[in-house]
Amino acid sequence: MKPFNPFSLTVSVPPHRHCGVTVRSRMLIILLAMVPAAAMAVTQYGIAGFRVMALSMATAVLTEIVCDKFMGRESQISDLHAMFVGLAFAFLLPASAPWWLVTIGSASSIILGKMMFGGLGGSPFCAPLIGWALCRISWPAFMDIDATMLTMDLVYPLAQLKNFGLQAVTATDAQALFLGKQLGGLGVVQIAGVLMGGLVLVMRKHISSIIPVGVIAGVIITAGLFNMIDPEVYAPPVFHLLTGSTIFGAFFLATDGPSSPNRQIPMLLFGMLVGIMIIIIRVYGIYPDGVPFAILLANLFTPVFERIRPRSFGKR
Amino acid sequence: MNRLWKEFSKGLWKDLPPFKLVLGLCPVLAVTNTADNGLGMGIAVVFVLTLSNLVVSLIRSIIPPKVRIVCFIAISASLVVAVELLMQAYAYPLYQQLGIFVPLIVVNCIILGRAEAFAFKNPPLLAIADGLGMGIGFTMSLTFLGGLRELLGKGQLFGADVTWQGFEPLGFMVEAPGAFVSLGVLLAIMNFAENVQRRRKGLKAVEGPTHDCGSCGGCSSASNC
Repeated sequence: MKPFNPFSLTVSVPPHRHCGVTVRSRMLIILLAMVPAAAMAVTQYGIAGFRVMALSMATAVLTEIVCDKFMGRESQISDLHAMFVGLAFAFLLPASAPWWLVTIGSASSIILGKMMFGGLGGSPFCAPLIGWALCRISWPAFMDIDATMLTMDLVYPLAQLKNFGLQAVTATDAQALFLGKQLGGLGVVQIAGVLMGGLVLVMRKHISSIIPVGVIAGVIITAGLFNMIDPEVYAPPVFHLLTGSTIFGAFFLATDGPSSPNRQIPMLLFGMLVGIMIIIIRVYGIYPDGVPFAILLANLFTPVFERIRPRSFGKR
Repeated sequence: MNRLWKEFSKGLWKDLPPFKLVLGLCPVLAVTNTADNGLGMGIAVVFVLTLSNLVVSLIRSIIPPKVRIVCFIAISASLVVAVELLMQAYAYPLYQQLGIFVPLIVVNCIILGRAEAFAFKNPPLLAIADGLGMGIGFTMSLTFLGGLRELLGKGQLFGADVTWQGFEPLGFMVEAPGAFVSLGVLLAIMNFAENVQRRRKGLKAVEGPTHDCGSCGGCSSASNC
C-alpha cells in the first residue's frame, strides 16, 4: 500500500476550477476582433490612419505605466486593456487628427477614464469615450470630421443629415455604406470589419449578445417610429445603423465590462437606452453622431439598472 | 503678536480653505473660469469674512447660543448686500460675470464655518486675523485655479494672451466639467505632496486632506493626523 500523503488533503483557496480565461486572453480576442476594421481603415486612409492608431495605443500604454508608478501600484499593462482603450479611442477619431490631439485624448482616456477610478474594473464609464468627449468639447474644429477631411472624395452622411436634411444626403447606397465608403471615425465606419469582429466576439461568447441586440433594436424601433411619422424628414433605420459608430458602439463600447450591467433584463434595458438615445441625439441634438454621448449617459444609468435583481431566496 | 500671526498664517497654507478644509466649493467650482473672476470673488469673500468675523466676535457675549446660526446668517447677509452694492457701483462688469454667486456668499460655508468655529469663541483681534488669513488663502486658491483654467482653456492669463502661436486651448477646462476635473486633480496633487512630506518625516501616509482642526482630544481618527 502506498504511504499516505498528508498534503493530498490540503485545500487551496477557491476557485478550484476555472476555464482558463484571463483578462489578457479576453483583451487579446477583442483586439484581434478589431483588426479587420483597423486593416480596412489603413487601406482607406493609408499611413495617416495607421499613424493615429499606433500613436494612440502607444500613448495609452505609456500613460498607464506612468500612472501605475505614481500610484504605487503593480503595473498591469500586460493585460492589454490599455491597448484596447488606445485603439478604441483612435477608432473614433478622424484620420486627420493632429498628433497632440491624439496624445492628449488617449492619455486622458487612461487617466480620467480608467486609472482615476482605481484601474481596470473600477470605472463607471467606458474609458475611450471619456477621452473622446474631452476632445470633442475642447477642439470641435479638429474633431469635425467633415471639415478636416475635405481632401477625400467621400462624404460624411451624418453631417449632411444634420446640417442639410435628409434630401441632401448623397450616400444612400447601403452596400457602399456597409463597406465603409463614407467618412466618420477612422475605424468605426468600416461597418463590415466591425460587424465581423463583433460577431466573432458574440459567437465565442466573449461578450453577451444581449447588449448589441438591445442597442440595434433600440435604434431600429426609434428610427422606425420617426421614419413612420415623416419619411421625408427622418432617415430610415438602416441609414442610422450603417452610419457613424452605431455598430462599433453596440459591439465594442457598450459591452465594456465594468460600465455595463451584468444581468439579462438590465442588459437589455441598457442596450435599448443606448439605442434610443443615439437616435434622439441624432435627431434633436447638435452632434451629428450621438453614439459616444448616448453610451456615456447609459453608463450613468448602470447602477439604476442593476437594482433590478432576483428576490433573494426565502425573502418576502 | 505671535498668536495673531499664527491665526493669520494658518489660512495661507496649513488650513487653506478650498484645498485643505475643502470648504466653500460652490464658488470655487462656479466662478473660476478666469483668473479675474477668481480674484474678484476672493476679494469679496475677504471683505465679508473679515467683517463678519469681527462683528460676530464683538457681539459674541450677547448672542444666545441657541439662535447663533440665525445671527451669523443675518450678519453675513447684511455684509453681502453691502458688497453687492459696492460691486454694482465700482465693478459692474465683474458683478455681471459673477452673477448669482455674489449673493450666494451668504451661505458660503467658510463664512459660517469660521464664525462658528473661531470668531464665536475668540476676541475681535484674533477673529480679524483669522478672517483675513482664511480670506486671503481663499483668494489665492481661487486665483490660482482660475489662472490655471484660463491658461489651459483659453490660452490667456488675466485676459492677456500668454501662449505661443498655434496653441490650441483645451476648451474643456473653462466649461463646468473642467472645474470638477481640475479641482480633483489639484486635491490629488496636494494629498500626494503631503504624503511625500509625511514619509520624509517618518510618519504614516494618510488618505484625504489633513488639517489642524484643534479638536484632537475628542476625535476618533486623531491618530491619523
